[in-house]
Amino acid sequence: MILADDLDPDDVERIRRLVPPTPSAYHRLNPLTKAVIATVGSIGAFAAGGYVGPIAVDLVMLFLAFRAGVLGQLGRVSLLLTLPIAISVVLVSVFTRAGTTILFTIGPFDATAEGVDFAAQTLVRLFAISLSIGLFVMTTDPRAFVFDLERRGVSPRVAFVAVATIEAVPTLVERAAVIGESQRARGLDTEGSIRARLRGVLPLVGPVIIGALTDVEERSLALESRAFSRPGRRHLLWAMPDRRWERWVRWALLALLVATAVARLTGRI
Amino acid sequence: MSWGRFDTRTIVLIPIAIAINIVLGQTVSAALKIPIYLDSIGTILVGVLAGPIPGLVTGLLANLIWTYVLPAPFHSDYAAPFAIVAAEIGFVSGVLGQVGWFRSRPNADTARLVLGAAVVVIVLGLIGYYGFLPFYTNGTFTFFGDTSKTEPFFVIVGYLIGIGVVAAILGLIALLFVRRDLGVAYVAIGGLFCGIVSALISAPISAVVFGGVTGSGADLLVGAFQKAGSDLQTAVLQQGLLSDPIDKTIEFFIGFVILQTLSRRFVSRFPQGEKAVGLEQA
Repeated sequence: MILADDLDPDDVERIRRLVPPTPSAYHRLNPLTKAVIATVGSIGAFAAGGYVGPIAVDLVMLFLAFRAGVLGQLGRVSLLLTLPIAISVVLVSVFTRAGTTILFTIGPFDATAEGVDFAAQTLVRLFAISLSIGLFVMTTDPRAFVFDLERRGVSPRVAFVAVATIEAVPTLVERAAVIGESQRARGLDTEGSIRARLRGVLPLVGPVIIGALTDVEERSLALESRAFSRPGRRHLLWAMPDRRWERWVRWALLALLVATAVARLTGRI
Repeated sequence: MSWGRFDTRTIVLIPIAIAINIVLGQTVSAALKIPIYLDSIGTILVGVLAGPIPGLVTGLLANLIWTYVLPAPFHSDYAAPFAIVAAEIGFVSGVLGQVGWFRSRPNADTARLVLGAAVVVIVLGLIGYYGFLPFYTNGTFTFFGDTSKTEPFFVIVGYLIGIGVVAAILGLIALLFVRRDLGVAYVAIGGLFCGIVSALISAPISAVVFGGVTGSGADLLVGAFQKAGSDLQTAVLQQGLLSDPIDKTIEFFIGFVILQTLSRRFVSRFPQGEKAVGLEQA
């Protein structure tokens, strides 16, 4: 197997011409490095607990997003994705968590200081998770990530499943839209009362699922005819560059994560 | 006992199953705001058709891909921590598929239908009366005792659980006798079991990582139980033990119906297809 490091300089040059330039140095990091940053960030925020650790993760991710030029986008998406769950967290913990310090009362619900504290801790942690993962998703082409994993020894079948899922989700939605329109053309009520809409669920969902499953037959024949299940490794023509220092960064981050977890478990932080 | 096989057909089925999970899960939990999830139908189908290990792998991959690979708008930051629960669902449905619990057993005679109904009633009743009621009402509430000393919240919850259990029993019996299909009883017990196990695994994850809420309709329940005096861990477990068995039973039924709808020829080509739907029907 050829590692990216052992590539011929000529080949490196050729790959550089084939792969379009990415907007920032952060985008150009190896996908695994970015995945490790995201995982260490989200698990680390959770392992550290309290306020300092998660807020530090939040700030680091926002800084990285700034360097990658996606600060505004990441902030917007992260807020949008976290908002519904954040509202739930605040309502549920502020008003229903038992505590001794009562701040104010609305009807039968007491807002407790303990609840506010708990909600705030949960929120900084949720943002740390959302920013870490969001930054990864925004700066990484999912296909590049999957192929890089395959180069590192992940089974090509797992790689196929991951890449095929990226395609399958929009296809399924498209199919649902087509089936919805054709059922409407046959007189299905999808915009009436709630009862009418509920009755419309089965004629919509049924054909979508059955149709998608029936595709399995054709697809597996197509794959078989292209030697999908032949043994041995596939040789990838394209490899993401992976530099030596990135490998060090990844191990250092993982060590940091382990250290945080140990410190938390032994009660040092 | 075989653990299942990954032939090409199964490998092709997995991405489609994951897509079904994600699309249905996203629509149901985000749009309808009801305390059920419906995000494992694809995983259940793979488990039943291909075996326990393919089911387990599908559940695991589904949640990891949902978080790490899938771009917006179908991306979710919060699926990966629950990957282990999805894996359990896939594994359990694989085992149940192999022992034939997803088989349709049509035209059962009345005696066997009555027996099946009795088993379901007894299992549901025992779990409801000895497992759920004491857990949800501090052990202070029974349907037959004096309720004047019990807090009104527990009385209401107690009766709601009672009504829910009775409604579930009546619904299942109706299904049993209308379809005259004994398979319904098997699927119901299987779904109940899978739901209880899922609740036990997912409650600590949800409490520790997310402070007990997931942005779905189930949060209301967590709040209500916390208000009634449970601590967070217990409140989340109480919510899960209420939502998950209902959710998994419904999902098992949908999977069961889909399996009956698919052509026998199609089903029997999967590694575990013949065992799942029965040889004589395959």
